[in-house]
Amino acid sequence: MPVPFRFVLAASILLALPASAAPVAYDLERDRSSVTFETDFGPDTITGSIPLDSADLTLDFDRVANSRVSVALDVSGATASFPFAAQALKGPKVLDARAHPQMTFQSTSVQAAGDGAAVDGNLTIRGVTQPVTLRAEIYRQKGTAVGDRSHLTVRLTGKVKRSAFGATGWSDMVSDEVRIIITARIAAKG
Amino acid sequence: MALRNSPDSFGLISRLIHWGMALLILSLIALGLRISWMEPSLSNLWLYGLHKTMGLSAFGLVLFRILWHLISPPPGPLATGWQRLFIKAWHWTLYALMIATPVAGWAASSASGIDTLYAGTFVVPPLVEVSERAEFVWFILHEIFAKTLLGMVIVHMLAAVKREMGGDGTLTRMLRGRA
Repeated sequence: MPVPFRFVLAASILLALPASAAPVAYDLERDRSSVTFETDFGPDTITGSIPLDSADLTLDFDRVANSRVSVALDVSGATASFPFAAQALKGPKVLDARAHPQMTFQSTSVQAAGDGAAVDGNLTIRGVTQPVTLRAEIYRQKGTAVGDRSHLTVRLTGKVKRSAFGATGWSDMVSDEVRIIITARIAAKG
Repeated sequence: MALRNSPDSFGLISRLIHWGMALLILSLIALGLRISWMEPSLSNLWLYGLHKTMGLSAFGLVLFRILWHLISPPPGPLATGWQRLFIKAWHWTLYALMIATPVAGWAASSASGIDTLYAGTFVVPPLVEVSERAEFVWFILHEIFAKTLLGMVIVHMLAAVKREMGGDGTLTRMLRGRA
């Protein structure tokens, strides 16, 4: 497979680095990372966040396809922009946090797409696994030197239909489509 | 002005509860219909809380009313014969619905899995387990009870006006205490 030129180009511009060969494993900087979501509630928007349990990232800037991402979330710690929404979210009709305290995402393939990457993977919500595609963008962290890949910010965005996972509660009031924004700040291992 | 009821007059406490609950129940039903038709949003979410707070207040008032009537029995209907029995049965049914409607609403709210708050502050204990089936059934019952109550209240009002126009003083007695 040819090296996806545009991704390398983008990454090189972003990181201004000489190409290095090996995949790099990263640790999640949990306190500086977040998983947020938003969905429509009538004419308004409900926003909220779900704490990250763990994330395992391996990035290969030369062969993007060698990159892997897996993320686990602690559903029982979910919060939302107003109290009833948080309770509804964690309750049995939506995420059912008691029966399914974890939500996970595991990448199955990563391809360069534009100046980012398309990450295909399996998303498990309420014990139901469905394929989803998230868009990934990688940024240098504020305060790091150009070319320093030891600390990065990965932004993963995507949409899911909650009905596909059986999270159907309040479907007459709250939109089926939920937008997900994962901001993972990561540090190279070792 | 007597606070207590007597065999032929309504005391102030019974009259205040009667008219207070009349206003509360009609407002509750109007608000309930509004809630069931509206598109929920952040700006009107508080109406659910208002309906629950008013409904629980009405429930508290009807319990107090029954207790008060055990302490100080109200006078019976002014009609005689079969009409008297019919009116008594009507009043008993109104009481049954004044209890059943808020209880069904409370149970439906409990089954939804979202806390029921009184006055936006106190969490009211759930009556039933969280279940979509139970929520559905209790909300249907809540609606049937509320609409039946509304229909029966309208007949109750028309009947009171008719009897007053007939000259027996039914409405005057509830307004001033004595016919």
